[in-house]
Amino acid sequence: MKKTFSYKMNIFLFLLPALLLFIGVLIAPIFLSAYYGFMNKKGAGGAETWIGFANYTEIFTSTSLGFGKALGNSLLLALFSVGIQLPLALVLALKLGKGVRGERGFLSVYFMPVLISTVVIGQLWLKIYNPDYGILNQFLRSIGLGDWLNQKIGVWGTRAAWLSKTNPLALAACFVPILWQYVGYHMLLMYAGVKSVPKDLLEAAQLDGCTEGQVNRFIIIPYIKPILKVSVIFAVTGSLKSFDLIYVLMGQDKNPCDVPSTLMIRMLFSAKRYGMGSAIAVMLILLCFAFALLINIVFKDKEVR
Amino acid sequence: MKKLVALVLAAVMLLSLTSVFADAAEEKITLTLWDIATESDANRPAYNAALAYIAEKYPNIEIKEVSTENQQYKIDIAAAMADPSTLPDIFFTWSGAFLGDFVEEGNVYALNDVYANLETKDSLPEVMLANGTFGGKSYAVPLTMNIVAMFANMDLLAKAGWDKVPETYEELTKCCDDLVAAGITPFGCSGKETWCVTEYLEPIMEKFVGAETLGNIFNHVEGATWADADIKASVDAFQDMIKKGYFDANGMSLGNDEVKANFIAGKYAFYQNGTWNCGEVNKAGENFKVALFPVMNAERATYKQVIGGPSDSLAVSAHSPNAELAAKIAFELGKEICHAGYLAGSGLPAWTPDYDTSEVLPLVNDVAAIVAEAEGMVLFGDTAMGGEDKDKYLAYVDQVYSCELDGQSFMDGLAGDLW
Repeated sequence: MKKTFSYKMNIFLFLLPALLLFIGVLIAPIFLSAYYGFMNKKGAGGAETWIGFANYTEIFTSTSLGFGKALGNSLLLALFSVGIQLPLALVLALKLGKGVRGERGFLSVYFMPVLISTVVIGQLWLKIYNPDYGILNQFLRSIGLGDWLNQKIGVWGTRAAWLSKTNPLALAACFVPILWQYVGYHMLLMYAGVKSVPKDLLEAAQLDGCTEGQVNRFIIIPYIKPILKVSVIFAVTGSLKSFDLIYVLMGQDKNPCDVPSTLMIRMLFSAKRYGMGSAIAVMLILLCFAFALLINIVFKDKEVR
Repeated sequence: MKKLVALVLAAVMLLSLTSVFADAAEEKITLTLWDIATESDANRPAYNAALAYIAEKYPNIEIKEVSTENQQYKIDIAAAMADPSTLPDIFFTWSGAFLGDFVEEGNVYALNDVYANLETKDSLPEVMLANGTFGGKSYAVPLTMNIVAMFANMDLLAKAGWDKVPETYEELTKCCDDLVAAGITPFGCSGKETWCVTEYLEPIMEKFVGAETLGNIFNHVEGATWADADIKASVDAFQDMIKKGYFDANGMSLGNDEVKANFIAGKYAFYQNGTWNCGEVNKAGENFKVALFPVMNAERATYKQVIGGPSDSLAVSAHSPNAELAAKIAFELGKEICHAGYLAGSGLPAWTPDYDTSEVLPLVNDVAAIVAEAEGMVLFGDTAMGGEDKDKYLAYVDQVYSCELDGQSFMDGLAGDLW
């Protein structure tokens, strides 16, 4: 008995530093954010006043705050991630996983954007989108789309200014680099899954006369479903938390490509509304948990069936 | 003999002790400095010169500098205020409400005592400390003083048949029409950085309502309100210029550095921005002139009313373990940045020059002449206003530039949301 207790005590003691770190770095800030979310707190050292759910009410009712639009942008990004990014990653993983010439080289090339700093990627795409010398506009002009680029949008501005606040395509222009950057990441996860499919299963299917498409559909994809679930969770929660590329491409001021994280930063450090910024942070945490749970339920349901 | 040995030993010990204390006295003190003088910033050479001066004068003080781009800096410094232990010893700040918020949070060191004992006090007139003074205490070391000016590329104006910078609004619109007809874009303005839009809108508002009224509105003086028909008229006039194609449509998606580079490269005829750009513009050639935006309503405003004032400053963290020393160094740095910046063309001096000024750039001299004759000076709106008020104001300005709001909505919105 004493030995068992001592054994458990040892486990506890060894786990304690990590636990304290986890509580201090992750759990405590979440609770602090939740606490500040109920406060009207102006600036870092400003006075705190308890205002209950007023910040949350404002999040859902204020049109000038723009949380609804920001959340809508994030959900649209999540939709594109799941609908475009993941299928593309899956196709690449299936192709590379079955062994093609230069497999390692392709893997490195597709994974490279994940390794590059987001700020560098942002600067790279800023140059690509530059209205005057950007390679995108040069290409479009070279294929005869110059007139389309020079068309006016609304009162003023042209399509050529991809990242202009008045360009309805600005959101899509922001999404492209985000989707491009993480295709390689999801591809690598799925590639590892494809590689782990037992060879005898694939050989048996081939002996039974299955086509490549049937092997993919009935053997590989069901086999790597747990990995697909993880990828979907990462893609959706990543979209909800998206910040860096949009921040670099569109700047810190209010813009039509705002997502909840950019709004949160502006509330915290520009408007100095710590209470509101914290409330947005709490909303983000809750949304990420809710979507992760929902995806788990959807996949569990399919696994049971 | 024994006594002699003992004496020698004691002397050696004493000497070694002295060297220990001497080492301690010369121990290096590291001060951190945060600023916005990035490589592309007009003030970079001035900071280099000032830091070199401090390094030579105080070999035991090491200054670790971190420079961040203007927009990002505002976020970084505000984030550091949330956790004062991460604050640098000395930091760049804009005076007015921007600094006032930090002072209110108790994060800024009051400089009165250090200023009172300053050897160079005579070259820093007390009036220059006014924008950084709150509750009778001074918190900011002023660097340079800048105003918003309209830079003009005379070569491009000549192509449109103009040999002078337009002085009236009628002349300006005629000149812009001529430029457009000649295939030249009159103005460039970054739509990505809203403060750049204020560099256009604020002088136009001032030239409609007058410096006193605009200053009262920005500073929320009792009775002052945005609900002024001339505020509406100024927005309408600005948007009229936009709709007539006077502004580069691509500017909406460009940052200020890109717009400035375009102007210097000869893409736009005019560029309205802070006079801290004088050095860069002057370096690009002798074909540039500096002027003010013309009067829009002569009954309330005059040509010589300007937007600007001493705003760029250094402040010291109240949480710095070496706050007093940091304050002394901040004053010395401030004076040197001012000195080098004035000569390099990044602004007018907040400190009275006690050096040879014969080498001052022609554009800076022109700005100095404008300031000397100024009939009113209004501090930048986003500096005068703080926190959420500033953000609301900038959000409205942003919507004006993208023409989502007209003059009436701008006026009504700000009168409703602010005052």
